[in-house]
Amino acid sequence: MRAGGLVRRRVGALIKLLAASLQLVPLALATGIFGAAASLSVSSGTVGAATVATPRCTAVGLTVLQNLSAGTVVSVTVGGLPAACGGATLQATVNNGSTFGSGSVAVPAGGGSVTVPLGAAPAVTAAETTDIVVLGP
Amino acid sequence: MIAVALLVGVSVRAGSAAALSLTSQRLTPYRTCTITATPAGTTAVSDANVRQANPTTNFGATTTYVVSSAAAANQRIYVRFDLAVCSPAIASSAIVRLATLRLYVTAVPAVCRTLDLFPATVAWTEAAITWNNEPFGAAINNPPTASRTGSVTVGTPVGCVNQAAGAYITGATVTTDVAAFVAGGSTNLGWMIRDDAEGSATTRSETFSAKDLGTIAQAPQLVVTYVVVP
Repeated sequence: MRAGGLVRRRVGALIKLLAASLQLVPLALATGIFGAAASLSVSSGTVGAATVATPRCTAVGLTVLQNLSAGTVVSVTVGGLPAACGGATLQATVNNGSTFGSGSVAVPAGGGSVTVPLGAAPAVTAAETTDIVVLGP
Repeated sequence: MIAVALLVGVSVRAGSAAALSLTSQRLTPYRTCTITATPAGTTAVSDANVRQANPTTNFGATTTYVVSSAAAANQRIYVRFDLAVCSPAIASSAIVRLATLRLYVTAVPAVCRTLDLFPATVAWTEAAITWNNEPFGAAINNPPTASRTGSVTVGTPVGCVNQAAGAYITGATVTTDVAAFVAGGSTNLGWMIRDDAEGSATTRSETFSAKDLGTIAQAPQLVVTYVVVP
């Protein structure tokens, strides 16, 4: 009787273990699908957010003057560049609302002023926007 | 065990994402709006001359205008640029780095004269302004020099900033005024320009091209350089 009871207890435990394992199958499958989905996109919640300021070579006002030819802007002269901008690349884009003209030049070592020839010459209108970006140095 | 392994796998992937790095170049961005009085009939720019010797006559359509210091014959300029024509619009949060008033001078005096810039505090129109109804009144040397927000020197002597005719004057900086216009701290009613010492016994005058001259290369301009704040 003792031996029979021991067998019954072991069989019962085995059945419980099997049942518990079967319960894990759908959970594992579901978890597996979740895992696969997570691998498709980087979870923003696990990526640290930070802001790092990049240094600028100047924060003063630059003079931006249009050079005209027959009523169009053929180049712009940018002045007031400090020596700290020397070696950088200055890009300028003039936009009159219908035409863009862009160009870039290197800023001389000592700064100063540069004239940027434009690839296209926007006509002078009531107002033009000139975007200036200094890359580097 | 399976579930635990999957959780570890997710953790590993998250670790990889966290290892991503971004780099950027050093960028110094500026934006400039150049307002030009063109065509001649534009309403984006208003300019006019007021003359003490003709106190009730409007000179809003002249092709040149004069700043003059003279006995009972002083002359002043009023000019206004509509910042709303800038496209894209200058946001009220923008930081104005530099604003320059550019007038093309065609005649300079033999002595160095100082011209003062005052932001107008009362509205005026190009077609109606006269010496008698101008915002600052008919009294000479008013407002006082101390309230000017900018000044330039014009004349042939060495040491004067603008010595030659046939060029845009330099140094007419109005950054503080334009910054206030943009931020909404004050209303843009333009500027009045007068000789620093009106009433000179010897007439001293400077002549400038007005928008009604219709010459683009000599048209009045306002150049505003600013930084867009994200």
